[in-house]
Amino acid sequence: MSKPGPSSPQQRAPKGMRAKARPADRIFLGLSTGSAASIMVILAGVALFLIIQAVPAIMADWQNNPELNEGPTSGYANFWTYVGPLIFGTLFASAIALIIGAPIAIGIALFISHYAPRRLAGILGYLVDLLAAVPSIVFGLWGIIVIRPFLLPLSDWLNTYLGWIPFFGGTVSTTGSTILAGAVVLAVMILPIITSISREIFLQTPRLHEEAALALGATKWEMIKMAVFPYGRSGVISATLLGLGRALGETMAIALIISPAILVSVRMLTEGENSQTIAANIALNFPIATTLQREALIGTGLLLFVISLAVNMLARIIAGRAGKSALKKRKKMLAQLPPSDPSTVLAVDDVLAGRATAAQATTGAAAAIDGDETETSKEEREGNDA
Amino acid sequence: MSATISPTRQPTGPIANSLTSGQLPRFVEWYVLAGSLALSAVLLLLMGFNIAGWLVLAAVIYLIALGILSIVVENRRKATDRVVRGLVTVAFLLALAPLISTLFTVVANGIGAVNWNFITQTSGSTFNADTLEVTQQVGALQAIVGTLIITGIAALISIPIGILTAIYLVEYAKPGNWMARTVTFLVDVMTGIPSIVAGLFAFSLFTLIVGPKAFSGFSASVALSVLMIPIVVRSCEEMLRLVPGDLREASYALGVSKFSTITKIVLPTAIAGIVTGIMLAIARVIGETAPIFMAASFTDNFNANPFEGPMQTLPVMAYTGYKFPGQDIAASNDSAWGAALLLVILVVILNLIARVVAKVFAPKGSR
Amino acid sequence: MKLKNVAAVGSLALVTALALSSCASSGGDAGSTDSATPTSAAPTIDFASLSGTITAGGSSAQANAEAAWITAFTAQAKGVTINYDKSQGSGGGVTNWLAGSYDFAGSDSPLKDDQITQSQTLCGPGGALNLPVYLDGVAVIYNLAGVTDLNLSSATIAKIFSLQITTWNDPAIAADNPGVTLPSTPITTVTRSDGSGTTTNFTNYLSQTQPSIWTNAPGNAWPIAGSSAQQGGSGVVNTVKAGDGTIGYADHSAIGDLTAANVQVGTGTDFVAFSAEGASNAFTAAATTVDTGVEGDLAQKIDYTAITDADAYPIPLISYQILCTTFADEAQGELTKAFVSYVASDQGQQISAKNAGAAPIPADMLAQIATSLELVK
Repeated sequence: MSKPGPSSPQQRAPKGMRAKARPADRIFLGLSTGSAASIMVILAGVALFLIIQAVPAIMADWQNNPELNEGPTSGYANFWTYVGPLIFGTLFASAIALIIGAPIAIGIALFISHYAPRRLAGILGYLVDLLAAVPSIVFGLWGIIVIRPFLLPLSDWLNTYLGWIPFFGGTVSTTGSTILAGAVVLAVMILPIITSISREIFLQTPRLHEEAALALGATKWEMIKMAVFPYGRSGVISATLLGLGRALGETMAIALIISPAILVSVRMLTEGENSQTIAANIALNFPIATTLQREALIGTGLLLFVISLAVNMLARIIAGRAGKSALKKRKKMLAQLPPSDPSTVLAVDDVLAGRATAAQATTGAAAAIDGDETETSKEEREGNDA
Repeated sequence: MSATISPTRQPTGPIANSLTSGQLPRFVEWYVLAGSLALSAVLLLLMGFNIAGWLVLAAVIYLIALGILSIVVENRRKATDRVVRGLVTVAFLLALAPLISTLFTVVANGIGAVNWNFITQTSGSTFNADTLEVTQQVGALQAIVGTLIITGIAALISIPIGILTAIYLVEYAKPGNWMARTVTFLVDVMTGIPSIVAGLFAFSLFTLIVGPKAFSGFSASVALSVLMIPIVVRSCEEMLRLVPGDLREASYALGVSKFSTITKIVLPTAIAGIVTGIMLAIARVIGETAPIFMAASFTDNFNANPFEGPMQTLPVMAYTGYKFPGQDIAASNDSAWGAALLLVILVVILNLIARVVAKVFAPKGSR
Repeated sequence: MKLKNVAAVGSLALVTALALSSCASSGGDAGSTDSATPTSAAPTIDFASLSGTITAGGSSAQANAEAAWITAFTAQAKGVTINYDKSQGSGGGVTNWLAGSYDFAGSDSPLKDDQITQSQTLCGPGGALNLPVYLDGVAVIYNLAGVTDLNLSSATIAKIFSLQITTWNDPAIAADNPGVTLPSTPITTVTRSDGSGTTTNFTNYLSQTQPSIWTNAPGNAWPIAGSSAQQGGSGVVNTVKAGDGTIGYADHSAIGDLTAANVQVGTGTDFVAFSAEGASNAFTAAATTVDTGVEGDLAQKIDYTAITDADAYPIPLISYQILCTTFADEAQGELTKAFVSYVASDQGQQISAKNAGAAPIPADMLAQIATSLELVK
């Protein structure tokens, strides 16, 4: 895959000089390769299972099939008209959750890693981890007891003053079981995931880089922009994706809180126009469903699988692009710093070179998809050296 | 300062002393905060007061006021810095609210149910043959044992596979290797498996292997592993990548084998992050309900054998206690909250243990 | 109230005891000291000889009754363990049972035609039996400030739940409740978001009694968007409780301290509150056994329009235990048969009435179940 540094372990020395491979090495290599392979086997198993189960329902004639024509699956022309609104609902709910949750989560991670007093930081980090330990069923119950009534006045306010925006239109819910309430709870659920990983990554920023930036007269925020964010970018994106993965697949909390309907609607404050999500729909209807209906629900599960795959790939590509333009941006920013004497100019070069290495390491994940990434970084670095 | 060192650059006016000039007084942030809280209170009193609105409005006024003050007195860069500091703090406080609220809700509702009997008894019921009355006895022992066994086995399966895969991806696989690409891709795919599907998969798999009555704790563990492995791989991979290449090179330069480099240098350096990742993964799966009742079914009977028969877990107990309450609805809800509280306590304990372990193995360093 | 029920059950039991005099009590000391409720109708079960594990699951409606039955049964048959999985729901129960994972399934609806065909692969040519063992009612629950006693005609219920009536002071509601001051609060209807047997029963009731107002096909999923849809009976109950002007439907045994409306019987002027007796009377009046072609099968069809007496509750809810006539494992068959016959015994029905708020199944139906169970081997 990618190289951790310019002289990574993959850049092997000439054959004769290579360290002798000991038996432990071989066994370890075998074990780790085996583990990687086992993931392929497991996933192939799950995918095969999903496809075999889903195909009968996807292929079925939904209008004339007596089993599909009753209960939760009745009234749809085919599988796709059934699953379409569900896909929309899933993406919509997760998007709101991510928009609310991700910036706050990264903010908390920064606060813990760079702003809070050191002694407090440990405790705060632990508190946030605790949030991750709360099971989703509890979040669901908490959403019913606390969030639903809490959001009611806000919903009224939004509807009254901002009702002309489609998101806030419609008849305001009186019970509070809106997609907004669900998304807020989702946002709280993904907070600890994004925060914990981002925090670890921010803490790993080489101190030299941070100190170099500060020594050049950067304010704390500029230091974070120049040293911390570029170093942790791929990690933060990874963390956000994990959070998104949880949001997409979250079942119980959504199922408990939202009053769902299978339709496409962007309204966030209504009772009967909340787009249902795939996972919650499975959880709600699976127990009562007959065999073929269950297969239809598994088919929607297969689609969820495909969606999260697409979202992941998209994010990887975006991460790759961001990685490429990042170095240019940073050079520009350094140029904006106050004029400095020759010695600091040297330091700038040093920092840039060092950071290029780090950036190369962190954009490694993106390289998996975007093959020419490492090459680009290398060019950038050579440019800096020249 | 730069003017004195660099002779080519002549000062054109009075030199601004960037160390002292144009700085806001030290406690300005607190003054602004107090001011914005007061202003927000006044504004809201005119429109109708509520606490949440007051705090939010105060935060907005605070950020704007501080930004403007700083731009006027200091400069744009410092203003940005102050505003971001304010934003980050607000984000943190915002997150604290649901955290405290959730924990408070769980503790307040659960504390009444949790006592020594609740932990050490299995839930059961007694039958009075004379009055034909059934008395429920609350207890969570079977659920605690079930949770520990099922999650424990899932962790035993997932952690080695997850860490080894991450090591393969970071340390062994060559750039562009098809297998590494495929595995990274598949791990991404795996994070998208809906939990209920994982449960169905495990149940179907075990139905194929052991026949129709396939409910067992072990099959639930397999379902949880499917959910857990990708989380472990992803977080470990990320942490291993952050280990500086210099460390590896230094180790190789001393003639240390790759195996020893990984186990003695790379893993200990990343251990704090890896443990955090694993704890997140455990926390993620320990609270799952759907895959467990699909694969391990549900029971009120005590069962400590993961290979045979239905098994109860705390999240399923919380879920069923709320969704299918017994005749005494309040008592059912109480024991549901009790189970939820126990689950949180259990995770806290596991978290503490993991942190101690991480501390023991981590290299003595600055952070 | 409770005492009255017990007395009623007792008298019923007496009749049953006479009718089934051949069944002598041999259930150890179970209930033999209870003079008020003779248990001679308990089937001949040799509790001591039973051992093994029964795995079952399905309907959550009968879950509380199931828990009580299991406790009572295993208290007498010490060697038996029974697991009933209430988290699966009716569909899950039947699906798992058809796959052979369960010894019996709990379901709110009898097997459908294709399921009957499927069941023959599991049970052999004898097929499977749907045995109605649990009887309850669907309650229409509401929360309206200042109103503690509410009458609703079936037409009004249909209009409210199809969202044709939107405020509480609507003339239709006022007409059902002369003399009651109704506020102008908007109505929030609360329904189930998950598929449910309760929804099946309730929509069946609506479409049979008010076909011109309620035009949606009955089914286990709520067909109309625009109501507040909540997960589970507990979700509906909690949401109705938390709101003002809310109205919903739920199993009567699960409504807790909420107020249920009195429902109009037939087309008359009588409004009836739920009672166990009322549900039993409704069962007698409206339930007929469907001929499914399987010998001994007791799948019921309810004709809601036939419930016209003032002593019957208009929306009864039946839940079944479904089991094979022929078990692959004979010992397992004997064990399951013993449990189901205990459930369908007079004592079993008293236990569910006492501990789960259920209504007892009428005695003649219990006798039919006993006859059907003789086919099980």
